[in-house]
Amino acid sequence: MTRNEIIDDLKKRFKDDITNIFDKSEKRVYVEIKPESLERCATYLFKDLKARFNIASGVDTRLHIEILYHFSIEYINLLISLRVKLKREKPVINSLAPVFKGANWIEREIHEILGVEFRGHPDLRRLLLSEDWPEGVYPLRRDYTEWDKTAIRDRGV
Amino acid sequence: MLKSPWVFHFSTGSCNNCDIEVLDCLTPRFDIERFGMLLAPSIKHADVILVTGSCNRKSAVRLKRLYEQAPKPCLVVAIGECSLSRGMFIYSYNCPVPLDKIVPVDAYIPGCPPKPEAIISGAVKLIEKIKGNL
Repeated sequence: MTRNEIIDDLKKRFKDDITNIFDKSEKRVYVEIKPESLERCATYLFKDLKARFNIASGVDTRLHIEILYHFSIEYINLLISLRVKLKREKPVINSLAPVFKGANWIEREIHEILGVEFRGHPDLRRLLLSEDWPEGVYPLRRDYTEWDKTAIRDRGV
Repeated sequence: MLKSPWVFHFSTGSCNNCDIEVLDCLTPRFDIERFGMLLAPSIKHADVILVTGSCNRKSAVRLKRLYEQAPKPCLVVAIGECSLSRGMFIYSYNCPVPLDKIVPVDAYIPGCPPKPEAIISGAVKLIEKIKGNL
């Protein structure tokens, strides 16, 4: 399939799930979907279109918490990013780790850093933060304030 | 230790650029071995610890543990802007304390990254300091 055929196919197949498509450039397309239909779309991209799951990235945009799942289809040089918008008060989404293993660690990292809860994740422990980090404090949220009273923030000269 | 300080290289989460410069010092072009310095494979054989990178919450614990295991007297050299003053990571949530509040530091080598010449000059000053000339 060519690039436009894939985009038309996605539009037709998931017309109830897709809320917006932003065709950025020849190599890049952003597909905004509803959070509840993530598993369906990602499984189709991964299993049927044979796309590679590159990485997921999470952003706190003040209005929502966005997660972008980046898939690439290499034989036509296309990067498809699935964008989901979650509520800031309680960000919950289904985990993709049961579908492909590559999502496991990045979901753990998004969980510890942005506080997104991935439902159905096999092992939602911390990945990189230290053990003495308090529960429920997420460093890359917009409203993060320093909790550590012992921290020194001067250059020492 | 005066004739041949063995160094142990510890990266506390740096961008690896300082590490590359430290490795450059060991190559024949700069050849830090002419001052008797040799990279020690284990901290238990080392006289000097070279620290690169801004210490984060996890590596600070490991650095302390390494410093306790090193045979005393043990010198610490901070290499690069990050380990001197944490550079651009000074307000980072993960870098709460500077290096010299974790372990005592004997020599500071500034630069981002410091040139191999700067590291050699720091090494010479360190040796002079041990001898008591500086």
